[in-house]
Amino acid sequence: MALRLPSQFSTPRHPRHDGHHPRRPSRAAVALSWRRSLAADALASSGCSSSPLANPSSPSPGKSHARPLVTCTAQAPAAANLAPGTPVRPTSILVVGATGTLGRQVVRRALDEGYDVRCLVRPRPAPADFLRDWGAIVVNADLSKPETIPATLVGIHTVIDCATGRPEEPIKKVDWEGKVALIQCAKAMGIQKFVFFSIHNCDKHPEVPLMEIKYCTEKFLKDSGLNHTVIRLCGFMQGLIGQYAVPILEEKSVWGTDAPTRIAYMDTQDIARLTFVALRKENVNGKLLTFAGPRAWTTQEVITLCERLAGQDANVTTVPVSVLRITRQLTRFFEWTNDVADRLAFSEVLSSDTVFSVPMKETYDLLGVDSKDVVSLEKYLQDYFTNILKKLKDLKAQSKQTDIFF
Amino acid sequence: MSSAVRAGTTTTTTMSGASSFVRFKSEFLGIASLPQPNSRSNVGARVKFVAASPTRASASTSGGGGDGGDADRDSDQKKATTKKAKASEAPAQQQQQQQQQQLQQQVSIVDPVRLGRRSRQIFDEVWRKFSGLGQISRTSLSDGDDDAALLLREFAIPAAQSTTVLVVGATSRIGRILVRKLMLRGYSVKALVRRPDQLPPDALPRSVEVVAGDVGDPSSLKAAVQGCQKIIYCATARSAITGDLFRVDHRGVYNLSKAFQDYNNRLAQLRAGRSSKSKLLLAKFKFPESLQGWQVRRGTYFQDVLATKYDAGMDAKFEFTETGQAVFSGYVFTRGGYVELSKKLTLPVDRTLDRYEGLVLSVGGNGRSYVLILEAGPSADTTQSKLYFARISTKIGFCRVRVPFSSFRPVKPDDPPLDPFLVHTLTIRFEPRRQRPIEGPSGARQDLRSFKLILEYIKALPTGQETDFVLVSCTGLGIEPSRREQVVKAKRAGEDYLRRSGLGYTIIRPGPLMEEPGGQRALIFDQGNRISQGISCADVADICVKALHDSTARNKSFDVCHEYVTEQGRELYELVAHLPDKANNYLTPALSVLEKNT
Repeated sequence: MALRLPSQFSTPRHPRHDGHHPRRPSRAAVALSWRRSLAADALASSGCSSSPLANPSSPSPGKSHARPLVTCTAQAPAAANLAPGTPVRPTSILVVGATGTLGRQVVRRALDEGYDVRCLVRPRPAPADFLRDWGAIVVNADLSKPETIPATLVGIHTVIDCATGRPEEPIKKVDWEGKVALIQCAKAMGIQKFVFFSIHNCDKHPEVPLMEIKYCTEKFLKDSGLNHTVIRLCGFMQGLIGQYAVPILEEKSVWGTDAPTRIAYMDTQDIARLTFVALRKENVNGKLLTFAGPRAWTTQEVITLCERLAGQDANVTTVPVSVLRITRQLTRFFEWTNDVADRLAFSEVLSSDTVFSVPMKETYDLLGVDSKDVVSLEKYLQDYFTNILKKLKDLKAQSKQTDIFF
Repeated sequence: MSSAVRAGTTTTTTMSGASSFVRFKSEFLGIASLPQPNSRSNVGARVKFVAASPTRASASTSGGGGDGGDADRDSDQKKATTKKAKASEAPAQQQQQQQQQQLQQQVSIVDPVRLGRRSRQIFDEVWRKFSGLGQISRTSLSDGDDDAALLLREFAIPAAQSTTVLVVGATSRIGRILVRKLMLRGYSVKALVRRPDQLPPDALPRSVEVVAGDVGDPSSLKAAVQGCQKIIYCATARSAITGDLFRVDHRGVYNLSKAFQDYNNRLAQLRAGRSSKSKLLLAKFKFPESLQGWQVRRGTYFQDVLATKYDAGMDAKFEFTETGQAVFSGYVFTRGGYVELSKKLTLPVDRTLDRYEGLVLSVGGNGRSYVLILEAGPSADTTQSKLYFARISTKIGFCRVRVPFSSFRPVKPDDPPLDPFLVHTLTIRFEPRRQRPIEGPSGARQDLRSFKLILEYIKALPTGQETDFVLVSCTGLGIEPSRREQVVKAKRAGEDYLRRSGLGYTIIRPGPLMEEPGGQRALIFDQGNRISQGISCADVADICVKALHDSTARNKSFDVCHEYVTEQGRELYELVAHLPDKANNYLTPALSVLEKNT
């Protein structure tokens, strides 16, 4: 099994012409069409790949953006080879992106529920010790180096993928090429379940590279034939702490936009909890779930809430969305700032008054979860502020110094 | 460094969240304290992207600042002044002052390297914030100050930080999950491992302290219990060989509870006090003098004339033999008659029995059962005393009997339950009624009306808030029938040792263990060996962790299994299922209805 893999990966770019899939485009063409859709003239040029989507049952996007055709080129027979081996324990899972905001909560949750957790972590100078301290097994691999992936998948039943590239690296490297390699590996090695975290509305905003990539990955995963669950997320409450809560407490200026976009933030702990409920439900298999918080908030509302809870006014620096958009346009002119442009692309979404939320009733019913158990943003931030203010008070009482300003 | 940082570092160990915050703060003082006339006046207004450039400019003019503390103090002053400026509505004047200060500072700037670094830092910061706006919310947490303050919400146990737990059997099916759960909640964990050098890598999290030792070897346990507040015992014999069972399940529990008690006592001696977990000696029968104060009495339950008719005689004596034993022996042939041994208790000055939970008697003899009677009431006026009784049975040979105060019932049903605080007299009564013949080699017809009781000591078991020792036992289900009796016997013997140790205990008897994720199915907590289902290892581990700080779990033994539907005709009792949801504490309501001291 393992011996066969290298040959497979050594030629990922060769088109496979077998009788079963006559319409399957080559890998190179996929990459090309994908890149094109990123370009400014996506509307005009993407007609070439406007063939019907590989899976007709999938909801086709209502927009005029044609999707690049992506298909999994992994070999299916490899999975069948596994039959006579030792069965893999269903409690063994691999978490990709375990050091991230969501990833670490997923790891925690999994460990707490008694799973054997393996974490795929990039080799780095300061290793992720906290994962080891919790009792997870850390393996070093890099999604952008496909040859490192297969070894990490040995003996794994379920892969949970919460990885996303770091802000400072090219967006495509991990999020597209890495994911494709991971899914192909998973397929080839007979992984029995694959959970992928995507972004809500990613099918409606192909102009944002990250969302487009996520959508393509969803399709790719579907076509791969893996037993999978896709979970679309809206926003993390944890992100608000660094963005708004801490600056307000420090009397630093808070940067916000005047965008009317509403996002239903959700606690990553809740996401992790629901993920594992979904993972164990057989009827969720192959489905697309969207997790959203109880209420959708605009930036301004979040800032007002933080101000109220912190008991102090914030220095709000409001950046109009138009400025962001202009900056994005500017940065796109240069090759070397293209990554920056990619990252600022979300401003395109911000300028529309999209609501990142979805009614959760159905999902709760499907999963058998009580909606009361999901934390609201008010409660979350209130907990945060009460705790942090208490700690600061303690700290102040302990130290002799009285000149600490918070 | 600055004062704020110092304050932070002193408390780093306990409050990583807060200290990281302070670190942040000091950074802020270093950077943002630079005078920013433009951005100050523009508060609330829309600062365009250009906002970056004035900051940069101000950084290049005044960046760097003095050295360490000076700069910070300056900045604090400045902050104060800027605040005042806002309040006093004399911005022009204040600005002048600021500029003066700025000039003063500029004089001290001679380091272009630092200046450049500072300006880059500020630009990065602004750019990061700016570009963050255009992104889908992403957070970049550093590894160290993970979940800064409270993102642990779900796992927050206040006492965990200061508690060290010794896990015995950390590599077992339950133990593996248990250790991880403890680590997640911030406990310090010690693991007792027989051969640490043979431990496979990744078997235990790295921050677990591995102690070499064997529960079968008492001397090796001394180091293991050092510094521990709690013990969780989930080891079990790997085979059904009697020797193994005896060593791990039976003797192992005894050795470990003893080592733990010894450690507690040693600690208490260092503080020149008594361990709150040690037993209180009420009577010790080692010397002839220790028999003083004990009275032998006779009596009969029949108050009428009939009594004399059936009076076939009875006799009893309490004496100290040449072999050094205090023996209470005699016979009762009279119908309805009894003999009893009684003493008024004298407690040490600072002790009262309400801080104790029950009695332990170390006795020997020919295996009769006795009635233990406590007289309670104001000691000044014994006529108001109320009587409480509990029946105890002994074995042939020596044994220790544990009698919790909660098992005493009032003689008159209307009396209030026993209040140990008021107990002043202890009586051991023998009566021929309800004696059961002893099976065994003594075979020959015994006369159940005669008795012999060798007394060694009587002690009181301490009470407490929390459990000290969590023992994972078994119900016997799932073991092959030929071995079951053997295994269960060893486990029960271990349980008994633990109950008599004086430690707060929780004995969990799970059904057959299953390897599956926990928290999926409702659990049934029950007493009395009635359950029939299995349970996942993760659920057992969760119960262990929850029991550590739950006062309802103290001194309880219970069976636990997954929820099931009772068979037809057997639904005599109602099973209450508790869903192990992390949001609510399912253990307290589940255990509060169960019998204590079982």
